[in-house]
Amino acid sequence: MFARTVLAALALTLAACQSMSPPATAPAAAAAPPPAWQQGRTADQATSTLAPHAGRNTATPTAEIPLSTFKLPPGFKAEIWATGIPGARAMARGESGKIYIGTRGIGRVYEITDTGTQRVSRVVVDKLVQPAGVAVKDGSLYVIAIDKALRYDGIEKNPAVAPVDMTAVFSLPKEQHHNWKYIAFGPDNKLYVPFGAPCNICEPTAEYAQIRRYNADGSGMEVIARGVRNTQGFAWHPVTKEMWFTDHGRDWMGDNEPEDELNRMSKTGANFGFPYCHANGVPDKDIKKANPCDGVTLPATTMGPHAAVMGMHFYTGTMFPAEYRNVMFVARKGSWNRTQKYGFDVVTVRTDADGKNPKVEPFMTGFLDARSDEFSGRPTYMLQLPDGSLLVSDEQLGAIYRITYGR
Amino acid sequence: MSAGRASVTGRVARLAAASSLLLAPVILWAQQPPPATLAACNACHGPGGNSQIAQTPSLAGQPKLFIENQLVLIREGLREVESMKEVMAGMTDETIVALARHFAAQKPVVKTSPVNEEKARLGAVTASKMLCGTCHLPDYAGQKQVPRLAGQDEAYLVQSMKQFRDNPGPGRDTIMAASLYGLSDADLANLASFLATFKP
Repeated sequence: MFARTVLAALALTLAACQSMSPPATAPAAAAAPPPAWQQGRTADQATSTLAPHAGRNTATPTAEIPLSTFKLPPGFKAEIWATGIPGARAMARGESGKIYIGTRGIGRVYEITDTGTQRVSRVVVDKLVQPAGVAVKDGSLYVIAIDKALRYDGIEKNPAVAPVDMTAVFSLPKEQHHNWKYIAFGPDNKLYVPFGAPCNICEPTAEYAQIRRYNADGSGMEVIARGVRNTQGFAWHPVTKEMWFTDHGRDWMGDNEPEDELNRMSKTGANFGFPYCHANGVPDKDIKKANPCDGVTLPATTMGPHAAVMGMHFYTGTMFPAEYRNVMFVARKGSWNRTQKYGFDVVTVRTDADGKNPKVEPFMTGFLDARSDEFSGRPTYMLQLPDGSLLVSDEQLGAIYRITYGR
Repeated sequence: MSAGRASVTGRVARLAAASSLLLAPVILWAQQPPPATLAACNACHGPGGNSQIAQTPSLAGQPKLFIENQLVLIREGLREVESMKEVMAGMTDETIVALARHFAAQKPVVKTSPVNEEKARLGAVTASKMLCGTCHLPDYAGQKQVPRLAGQDEAYLVQSMKQFRDNPGPGRDTIMAASLYGLSDADLANLASFLATFKP
């Protein structure tokens, strides 16, 4: 896969540098690709110090969470619902109300039990390689890490249950980059699993840059979308049952291009453009072909440059005002590959009944201080509780906020 | 946090802490690392976290977040460091944060060991070619999760880079591993020589 990476400018730069290097003991240097995060970087970007932001592995004390700086529309309120869960990302709720939370670098899956007066957390499993994907179906917890798929049957009643190892049947490919997962069961009871492009920009081999679905036991795999660079969130419209998904745009094409995407999958088998066609029809600068956007399903809307669109959720509760019914909430974790930071918020996306004319508006803000260009937290995923309140996870601060509405 | 250990989270815990004066001395104490733990760190990592033992890294002036994150990985066995297991067993996040704050504030001592000028010169070329300064910053002081390289123990740098290049474990940064693809042992030795004696 990496050998097919097309990076004309960078390859030239590397070749020039190699002639100055001492003789290598291993002949691998000529074939060595640049690390994924800096593929596609041009010579004039060589002195840039833009780099992915740090996660945090230690628990953030509640007193250090700047709750008062978070802003919501009138009538909405945020409270700190849980803390002490470093790296918290996607959340899945079991039938009895326990909540399971995936992480990346810290390798843990958490379980949170709400006793009514407080939240108690424990670690279900640790030492996994980026176990970001969690889903609950028929009493079983599904955990998908980059190299492992586990199922915990009846875990809410039996906390010590040993997992069933389903790794072989899911046939997870070996490249790690962009292959941490968001997973969810669709209205068809199938498990949807993305396989990101293992690069910033490349022509990946056939097992990457796609969304697949499986039967719950891992059988019946189908690739349902291609040309998907890195989706970290999807959900199904409560009425139309269409799948919508977020997708991260490539880096090192400037501060403002290409924007992240919010896509609508009205049929399976569509091509969403990567690596030739980005955002709303932006041809790639490194990997070129004639008519790069021909046959490509363009996004329903773009979501901002380098915004890092994460989880999305269609609101179906009754606690929020009626105009929020079936409205999409999308978390934007925030940019790194941009001179001035962008995102670090939760937005709503409203569309016409037919899914057209999407309108993106801020909902939860205040994580980014525009003046200092520094961020406090990074909202990543949403989970709706039975009372209609909305949980928002903050990966940076290892916290979960609960959003309520009341006059 | 280890598997099975429960901890109270959420707002209730904060209110309880704020309304209980009894907890105040504990919170103040937690901002300083426990003296016995600090002594255990310095025994190997050197006075003030400036290593005097080859292959043992200096901690002085490392970014706070880098120390915190690595100590969590080592405590939980995501990063296997045999000699650290005993001292890290059961260490709380609060102690880790306090240790990180302490060592981040220590002044790194500039190395006066003899410099192999030619190795260091070649290492400088490789560092520039591989864009090390993007994440480690142009003065190699490190930032956030990215370690300080300037003045780090040379043998440790070689060993650490080889580990990243040849056998990165589950807790290791995949970006760093990929940044060393294709570098030879000689490249790594030159880089280490350059960085161990780097003066801004």
